[in-house]
Amino acid sequence: MISFLDLLGTIGASIIGLPGIIGVAVGMATRNWVVAAALGGLVGLLAPMILGGSHSTHVAITPMEYAISIGIGLLAGLVGCAIRHKGASV
Amino acid sequence: MADNDTNPRRRSLLRRLWDGFWSPTGVLSVGFLLIAGFIAGILFWGGFHWSLELTNTEEFCVSCHTMETNLGEYRETVHYNNHSGVRAICSDCHVPHEWQYKIKAKIMAVKDVYHEVLGTISTEEKYEERRLEMAAAVWAKMKASDSRECRNCHAFEYMDFTIQETRAADNHQRAIDDGMTCIDCHQGIAHDLPPGYLEEYEHVVDMLAGTTPIGQGTEVSDVRAWIGGQSDAAH
Ligand code: HEC
Ligand code: HEC
Ligand code: HEC
Ligand code: HEC
Repeated sequence: MISFLDLLGTIGASIIGLPGIIGVAVGMATRNWVVAAALGGLVGLLAPMILGGSHSTHVAITPMEYAISIGIGLLAGLVGCAIRHKGASV
Repeated sequence: MADNDTNPRRRSLLRRLWDGFWSPTGVLSVGFLLIAGFIAGILFWGGFHWSLELTNTEEFCVSCHTMETNLGEYRETVHYNNHSGVRAICSDCHVPHEWQYKIKAKIMAVKDVYHEVLGTISTEEKYEERRLEMAAAVWAKMKASDSRECRNCHAFEYMDFTIQETRAADNHQRAIDDGMTCIDCHQGIAHDLPPGYLEEYEHVVDMLAGTTPIGQGTEVSDVRAWIGGQSDAAH
């Protein structure tokens, strides 16, 4: 991480990016909190591998980026699961 | 509840909206809701992306007069005006293409707005005083990303060293061998450089060394050797 601002940017980008969006979606697919968190975390892990880095060039993704992405994915999964509990009876 | 006693009407309105939001609809089918949500999603995403692209235009960047200094300097360079007419605009060098890094850059740029309101660089004197610090911020980003934005357009792989001038070809071969990146040697490619920039650049490299995976095994000493040569040439 270059700076605190850089950290905030990385977190924000994860929330609006795949980990946040798909994380909520997979969370909504289950009533099981553990499964939701695990699936969200998995999305967080895969997102940088698939979309991250750079296609024309080869810039390594830092462990910190992975950590943030997985963390956000996990939280998003939990949020999705909460939506499922609140908004669906099945 | 205590809230209910102090402000019963407002409380009950919020409560009713909240409850209504989470209760099953009696009149809409699942299909209707899905299609409506799908269309709303497309419209929202399209609008989001469209506005994001607007913030990548040169007009947008220089809509803040503080950015005009850089515009003027850049207009004197090959990236604005050259024999082929292919050019690089502000966002080509300063905003990544990859979604997550682009969003990150846009979020980080919120501080530009804050400093614009604060007037951090509102006069020429203030600007020059802060230039080194701002340049260092850009260098740190470029160094950490192995000059990703430059390499969206330029790549060592496709450079024909036989038609480059010898000095360029020699240095680029050396850059490949030593794992150096564009910004290590090409500071000031689009804007004026403040005094003391080489020392500051060296500082940025030192700061990043070890914390980020830069290129393949870049040695701080290689960059330092190059910078040393530069300062000697300048003297
Ligand atoms: C709201 C007005 C405004 C707009 C629009 C704006 N900037 Fe800035 N920019 C500023 C200010 C003010 C600063 C100084 C920030 C500081 O002092 O840290 C700045 C700083 C910068 C820096 C210095 C490095 C850094 O990250 O601090 C770069 C590079 C930059 N702007 C590029 C751009 C580009 C590219 C665009 C268009 C995509 C743009 N700016 C649009 C006001 C603006
Ligand atoms: C949008 C594409 C694009 C990007 C991004 C870009 N360049 Fe360029 N660059 C060009 C073009 C086009 C030319 C001019 C080619 C010509 O002479 O017609 C050029 C020319 C150059 C030159 C030759 C300068 C000269 O005086 O002849 C250098 C050095 C250079 N670029 C370095 C960089 C660096 C460093 C970066 C990253 C900060 C960068 N470029 C980013 C497109 C780009
Ligand atoms: C070891 C230092 C070094 C590195 C690293 C380096 N360059 Fe250069 N480059 C030079 C020198 C020296 C020249 C010749 C003088 C000049 O034009 O500034 C040059 C010239 C160029 C030119 C003009 C070539 C011509 O014949 O017109 C381009 C374009 C260029 N560099 C792009 C890049 C890009 C893109 C990168 C990163 C992928 C890069 N350089 C990395 C030192 C370097
Ligand atoms: C060819 C790539 C390129 C283009 C195009 C470009 N910049 Fe830059 N910019 C840089 C680099 C590299 C730096 C880092 C400082 C340096 O080396 O000059 C920088 C630094 C800056 C800074 C920090 C202050 C300074 O002067 O160092 C600002 C602000 C800025 N750019 C704004 C802009 C704006 C606005 C535009 C469009 C009008 C623009 N840049 C176009 C490459 C570019």
